[in-house]
Amino acid sequence: MNKTINQKAWYFVIPVFVLVAFNAAIPLMTVVNYSFQETFGNNVFAWEGTRWFKQILLSERFHASLGRQFAFTFIILLIQIPLGIAIALTMPKKGWGVPVCLILMSMPLLIPWNVVGAMWNIFALPDIGFLGHSLNAMGFDYNFTQQPGDAWFTTILMDVWHWTSLVVLLSYAGLNSIQPAYYQAAEIDGASRWATFRYIELPKMKKVLTLAILLRFMDSFMIYTEPFVLTGGGPGNTTAFLSIDLVKMALGQFDLGPAAAMSLIYFFIVLLVCWVFYNLMMKNEAQS
Amino acid sequence: MFTKLYAATWGDVGKAKEKGFFDFDLFSWMAWTWQTAAFFIFIALCITVMLIWEKKVPGGSPRKGILGLDTTRGDRLFVSLLGSAFIHLAWLGLVGSLLWIASIICVAYFIVVFKYV
Repeated sequence: MNKTINQKAWYFVIPVFVLVAFNAAIPLMTVVNYSFQETFGNNVFAWEGTRWFKQILLSERFHASLGRQFAFTFIILLIQIPLGIAIALTMPKKGWGVPVCLILMSMPLLIPWNVVGAMWNIFALPDIGFLGHSLNAMGFDYNFTQQPGDAWFTTILMDVWHWTSLVVLLSYAGLNSIQPAYYQAAEIDGASRWATFRYIELPKMKKVLTLAILLRFMDSFMIYTEPFVLTGGGPGNTTAFLSIDLVKMALGQFDLGPAAAMSLIYFFIVLLVCWVFYNLMMKNEAQS
Repeated sequence: MFTKLYAATWGDVGKAKEKGFFDFDLFSWMAWTWQTAAFFIFIALCITVMLIWEKKVPGGSPRKGILGLDTTRGDRLFVSLLGSAFIHLAWLGLVGSLLWIASIICVAYFIVVFKYV
């Protein structure tokens, strides 16, 4: 049978193409242009070549913020993924508990970033905040505005509170798609709870977990608003993650050239990670 | 007419810029230079070549490369371009000068990727 080939539907893609051009491609081109030039405003630019790239690549400040960023992302993934799976495993599979749990779980996800930051800021204040005051009353010397360790602890706790639910919901969806026959087979074979988890549930959740890790990686890697409102990158620079440092450089110091170079390096790292995860997902897809 | 195509130098800082032939208000805020324009033209050319190649040999010639990944021509272009970015950055960070050597390495890298990945 001969199918008629009609490619006219491609015209429907034009609006999205224009949109992406204006909100992504054109700004990105401008950033590339900035990264090779110096400016003091007034739309006057002077050519600087690769100077800013060299400066950023060798700058201790960039190494430090990149290191902090990777450390932060690594820590929250290490906490959120196992914790999310654990919570999803304990959630009820039927009955009135299901909607209650699902709604409770999605609540943190619905709160805007800046509100989360402000909430945790007040919650953790050492003199009046519930968390800060209680910790101090219990004898801990806790002050997230002055001690870097406490600032990190609070930022990580906040992110875990805000985003673990995403991992929970994805894992829960993955768990629910497992056919009961698998569990029955495991029971007949006398498999332990751990064996059931390791050889049935975990492999079946592989796809959604890859997605969860990717989403959590990207979100935490570009985290800005929450730590900005909570700690402002402080005390000192100790919680200035990549995007906070970038905005400080671009808008605080008006160093558009170095900031553009830094954001391009940032962009390449993100692209590389996305590519790796894309290939992992395609591999999972091919296996199933 | 072409003088304004080149980026301003330090002597021009603080001076109001003369409006040149290519300074359309529509995109003069984007601070174009001929070097960056050439770079994006190169990218556009790459994509055009891919389009023509796809017309000549449809299907994207998928295969399993040395990395064990299923790649098509588009994947290979992406890997080449992204890898080239990292090669240039590494060269800038580790060596610092003679960047054209990094560009030559990238050409070799392109060939390797399109042949084996």
